[in-house]
Amino acid sequence: MNDCCNNCNTCPSADKPMEAYIRALPMETSHHRVAKQKTKCGFGLQGVCCRLCANGPCRITPDAPRGICGADADTIVARNFARAVAAGSGCYIHVVENTARQLRDTGLTRGKIRSEAALEKLAKTMGVAGEDKYDLAVKVAEKVLSDLYRPEYEPMELVEKLAYAPRVKRWKELNIMPGGAKGEVFQNIVKTSTNLSSDPVEMLVSCLRLGISTGLYGLQLTNLLNDVVLGDPEIRPAPVGMNVIDPDYINILITGHQHSLFTYIQDRLLDEEVVAKAKAAGAKGFKLVGCTCVGQDLQLRGAHYTEIFDGHAGNNYISEAVLACGAIDAVLSEFNCTLPGIEPICEELKIKQICLDVVAKKANAEYMPFHFESREADGDRIIDAIVTAYTERRGKVPMNLFRTHGNKNTLTGVSEGSLKKFLGGSWKPLIDLIAAGKIKGLAGVVGCSSVAYGHDTLTVALTKELIARDILVLTAGCSSGGLENVGLMTPEAAELAGPNLKAVCKELGIPPVLNFGPCLAIGRLEIVATEIAEELGVDLPQLPLVLSAAQWLEEQALADGAFGLALGLPLHLGVPPFITGSKVVTKILTEDMVGLTGGRVIVDGDARSAADTLEGIIEEKRKALNI
Amino acid sequence: MERFVIIGAGAAGITAAQTLRELRPDDLITVLSTDERVHSRCMLHKYLGHERDAQGINFVDADFFEKNDITHIPGETVKRIDTAAKMVYFGESYSLPYDKLLIATGAGFFIPPIPHFREAPNVFGFRDLSDALAIDEAFGRGKRVFIVGSGLVGLDAASALCERGAEITIAEMAPRVMPLQTDDYAASVYQKAFEAHGCRFLLGIGASDAVVDGEGNITEVILSTGEHVPCDFIIMAAGVRPRIQIALDSGIAAERAITVDEYLRTSAPAVFAAGDCTGLSGVWPDAMDQGKYAAWNMIGIAERYPKPYPFKNTSNFFGITMLSVGRLDLTEGAEILAHRTPTEYRKAILTDGKLTGYLQLGNISNTGLYLYLVRNGVDLSGRKERIFDLSFADFYGINEKNGEFAYKV
Amino acid sequence: MKRIFIDPSKCDGCKNCSVACMEAHRRDGGSGVCTLDLTDPANVSRNRIVTDGRGGYDPIFCRHCDVPDCAGACMSGALKKNQTTGLVEYDEEKCAACFMCVMSCRYGVPAVSADRKRMIKCDFCVHLEEGPACVRACPKKAIEVREV
Repeated sequence: MNDCCNNCNTCPSADKPMEAYIRALPMETSHHRVAKQKTKCGFGLQGVCCRLCANGPCRITPDAPRGICGADADTIVARNFARAVAAGSGCYIHVVENTARQLRDTGLTRGKIRSEAALEKLAKTMGVAGEDKYDLAVKVAEKVLSDLYRPEYEPMELVEKLAYAPRVKRWKELNIMPGGAKGEVFQNIVKTSTNLSSDPVEMLVSCLRLGISTGLYGLQLTNLLNDVVLGDPEIRPAPVGMNVIDPDYINILITGHQHSLFTYIQDRLLDEEVVAKAKAAGAKGFKLVGCTCVGQDLQLRGAHYTEIFDGHAGNNYISEAVLACGAIDAVLSEFNCTLPGIEPICEELKIKQICLDVVAKKANAEYMPFHFESREADGDRIIDAIVTAYTERRGKVPMNLFRTHGNKNTLTGVSEGSLKKFLGGSWKPLIDLIAAGKIKGLAGVVGCSSVAYGHDTLTVALTKELIARDILVLTAGCSSGGLENVGLMTPEAAELAGPNLKAVCKELGIPPVLNFGPCLAIGRLEIVATEIAEELGVDLPQLPLVLSAAQWLEEQALADGAFGLALGLPLHLGVPPFITGSKVVTKILTEDMVGLTGGRVIVDGDARSAADTLEGIIEEKRKALNI
Repeated sequence: MERFVIIGAGAAGITAAQTLRELRPDDLITVLSTDERVHSRCMLHKYLGHERDAQGINFVDADFFEKNDITHIPGETVKRIDTAAKMVYFGESYSLPYDKLLIATGAGFFIPPIPHFREAPNVFGFRDLSDALAIDEAFGRGKRVFIVGSGLVGLDAASALCERGAEITIAEMAPRVMPLQTDDYAASVYQKAFEAHGCRFLLGIGASDAVVDGEGNITEVILSTGEHVPCDFIIMAAGVRPRIQIALDSGIAAERAITVDEYLRTSAPAVFAAGDCTGLSGVWPDAMDQGKYAAWNMIGIAERYPKPYPFKNTSNFFGITMLSVGRLDLTEGAEILAHRTPTEYRKAILTDGKLTGYLQLGNISNTGLYLYLVRNGVDLSGRKERIFDLSFADFYGINEKNGEFAYKV
Repeated sequence: MKRIFIDPSKCDGCKNCSVACMEAHRRDGGSGVCTLDLTDPANVSRNRIVTDGRGGYDPIFCRHCDVPDCAGACMSGALKKNQTTGLVEYDEEKCAACFMCVMSCRYGVPAVSADRKRMIKCDFCVHLEEGPACVRACPKKAIEVREV
C-alpha cells in the first residue's frame, strides 16, 4: 500500500484530480490529517491494548505477556474484536429496524409502495400473506421486527427462509444459528465486558453468529424492504463525482445509510409549493447530492428519482471536499459515515447541518427528529431550515466548484434483480461465461474507503489487478464510490480488463466492475451468489467467488466480514482488523476458519500479491468444479 | 618521541597500549608477553569447552597490533628490569630500552601446600591459554577431573569440561559453591545445575594428600575426610597470587603485590604497574581501568586512580545468570530483604539505609544501577519497600549540555 | 557524535518508541508493526519507559556515553566505543555472555537476551538509513537526534 507522500500535506488518492483538488483546499480535511496521525500505536494496531477496566490500559509486551487481570494477548484481542463486531452488527440492525418500521408505517398509513413485485417476492420468501399490499407490507415488516426483538436464546424465524439451505445446515452443525439480532449484540457486549469471557475461540464463534444476523437482516433485508417503498433498482448510466452538483439549486448533501428516513422529505421537495419556496429564495429548486452509502442507495434507485437526485458525488472521504465546494447548503445526515471533519467546514461555509437520527448527532448539527406520525410538520420544518440556510449563505461564501470531476456515464442500478433481468431472466448466461472461462470468477470488492494508507488506492489498484485477470468485480459500499469516480464503472473501462473479460464487456456493453450500490448491498451480492450456487447445485464456498474489503474502515465492516466468513467465502483485507497480537485469533481467522465455514481472512496490503492470492483461490475452486 | 614498553598483554596491558596509541600517535610502543596470543582469561572456558578457537577468545581484533602500530613480542618472559639504565631483559640475551615502563603481569594460580600437588605434572591452573591447552591435552588421556575450588574459575573449568563428558569432582573448603559471590540459596541453585550436568561437589572438604604414580602424577586425591578420589588430572582454582617475581628480581618494591601509589607508580622511576599484579582488584573491568589510568600517568596526564571497588561480579552458567555486588558476607547490624519466585531471587543488604550488598539471580537485565548504589553509598532509606524495583528513573537526571544521564541523588 | 536527546516532560508513556525498537530489531524476517510478535521475549525493546512516580515518565535509553562503563567492563572485546561515530558498538559474535556490561552500566540500560546468550542494547539503528526508529515513532517528539 502506498505510504502518504512526504512532500505534500495530504494523503495520496486513487482519484488524482480529487487529490489535487483537496490539496489545494483552503481548509483541512481527513486527507490533511493523515500525516499527523501517521504514527500509529503498535499495541492498538495489534489489538493488545485493553481498556476494559480501571487497572488499564494494559498492553502486551515480551516483558508483560498478560494484563493485570491475567488476560493474555489472545483474550484481549478476541474481546476487542468481538466488541467491534457486536458494535458493527448493532449499527446494521439499527438500520434494518428503522427500515422495517418505515415499511410498517407506510403500510399502516396506506402510503406509497413503489414495488409491489418486490413486496410479493419478499412475502413469498417469508411465507407471509396479507389482505392487500398495505396489509402485506405491515405483516412483512412485523415479521422482521419480531425476529429482531427476540431474545438471544430464541432463534430468529427468517434465518432458514432467507439463507441458502446448505449454509443453514452447516451453521446448525457449528451451532451458530443466531437468536434475536438485538439480543445477540447485547449478549456479545456482556460477554466481552470486564472479566467475563476469556475464551478467544468462543468469542470468535459468536462473531460468526453476529455475522449471520447482520448479513441476513442488516444487509439483505434492508435492501429488500427498501425496494418495496423506494423502488427496484434499474440499470442505467448516471453521472458521478462532483460534476453532479448544480449551484443553481438549493443543494442538500445526504450522508448515512437509512434512505427510508428521508423518503418523505425527498418526495416533498418536488411538491410545487415547496419548489416555490426555493424559487422565492432565488434557486431553481432542490437537489439531493449523494455522498456515502445513502447516496449510493439513491443512485441505485436513481431511475425513480431523476428529478430530485443530482447524482452521487463520492464516498465518505469525499464528503469534506464536496462541502468545501461551497454549493452545498445543507447536510442531512441520518447515520454514518458522517465524518466529524465536516463540522468545521460547515461552520465556515455556513452550511446547515441537520441530523435526522440521534445516533448520528453531529456536534454542531441541529437534531430535527423525523417521526413518521408527524412527518408533514417535521418535513416542512426541515425544509424551511434548509431554505433559510440557502438564503443566509449564498453570495456570502466562496464557491470552489469542481465541474470536471468524475464522469457522466457510470453504469448504476445493478442488483440481483436488475442484473438477472439484464441477463434475460436467468443466471445461466453468466454461469456459462464463467464455465467457459470468459469470466474467470467473481470478486466482491466491497466495504469502505479509508485514507490512512491512501484514499481508495488499494481498492482501485486491486480492482484493476482483478479485472486484468478476467475476474468480474462486483462492488458495494464506499469502495463503489471510489471505483466509479475513477471511471472503472464506465463501459470504456473494459479496455483495462483482461482479453476475455474485455470481450464479454464489449459484447454486453457493460463495464468490468458492476456497482451494486451501498455497503448494504453486500446482502444483494449474497443473493446473487446463492442463486448461482443453487442453479449449480453447490454450496457457496465452492463458487469461484472471493470477497475483498480492501479498505475496510469501521466496525460495521467487521460485522460484514463476519457474514462473509459465515458464508464460507475468502475475505481479503488490506490491513488487519487489530488482531495480529493474538496468535490464536489470527490463526483461526486466517487458517482454521476454512475447516469451520469454508471462509478465511487474507490480509495483504499489496494489490498485486493480494490479487495473486485471490486469483489462485478462484482457480482452485474452478478446478474443484471441473471448469 | 618516547619509548613505551608494556610487560603483559592482558586487560591492563592491552588497554594501556591502546590508550597510549590514541594519545601518542607517533611514539614507540612495545608489548612483551609470556602469552603466545592475546586472550581473555574470562573466556578460557569457551576455548576449553571447544566452543571457540584461540582467535575466538582474543578480546582485541586480530590485527590489533598492526593496526595500532604497536610492536608485540609474544612468548617472551621478562627476566629483569634495569631501572637505572631503563632497560628490560628477556630471552637469551635480548634487551629493550624504555622511557616509560608498565608492568602488567597479572596474577597466577596458587597451589596450596598439599603434599605432591606442587610437583605433580598433572596439576594445572586455569588462568592462561597455556593452561587451557595443557588441560585440553590431559583431557585426551583421561576424563576424571578433580577441581580444587568452586569459585568462578573452578566452575568455569567445570562447565567447559562437563559439556565434553568429563567426570568431575569439585572440592570446596567453604560450605557452599562460589562462596564469595553467593549466599546459601543462590549457591544451591548453581550447585543443582552443575550436579544435573554430572558434577559432584565435596563441600567443606579439602584435599589433604595424594597418591602418585611412578612419574609423580597424582592418581588419587586423599580428602580431609580420608576418602580417596581417583582422578586423571587436577585443576587448581583455589585462588591467585599477583605475579611479582619481576619486581622482586629488579628491586621494585612489592609485598603480596607490586606496590603502587595513587598514580600507579611503582617505587622505581618511570615504572608503572597496573592490573592484577598490583593487587588492587581482581576483576576485569578494574584491570582495564588501571591500564587506562597508567597510560595517562605515563604520558604525564596526572590522574589519580580512584579506589577500585572489587566486590562485583556476574556469572552465567547453563544460562543461569547472577549479579552479585557489594559485601554479601557483612550482615551484622544489617537489614536483609529478600524476594524469591520460582525463577527469580533477589536479596538486598541494607546498612544504615544504604545498600551494602545486592544479589540477583535469574534475569539480571537492567540491574547495573545496583553497583552504582552500593559503591556510592546512596541513601535509600526512603526507598526500602521498592528496593527491588529501583531503576534509573528513581535518580533520573539529564546533563543538558551533552544529553548524557546524570544521577540525581 | 550524534546522541538521542530526551525531554522526559514530553513523554506520555505510549511506548511507541519501544514498539518501533522491537520492529527495527526483529529477527523473524517479517516487517510491519502489525505482524511483530509482541509476546516473544526475543523481541524485547532496547529502550524502556519507566514511570517517574509523579504521573510522568522517564525514558531510559542508551546514551552511548562518552566514557562507557559497559565497554570498559567488556572482557571479550564485543563492546567498543567507536571513536569515529561515537557509538558504543556491540559485536554479538564476540560476546561471551558474561554480562559484566549489565553490571557496569550505572543507568541500568543493558539487558540480557531471553536465551541468556547476548546482551541487548541500543545500536542507534545503524542498519536504517533514516536513523533510530524510536525517534521517528515518537508522536510527542520527546526524543530527537542531536549532534553533540
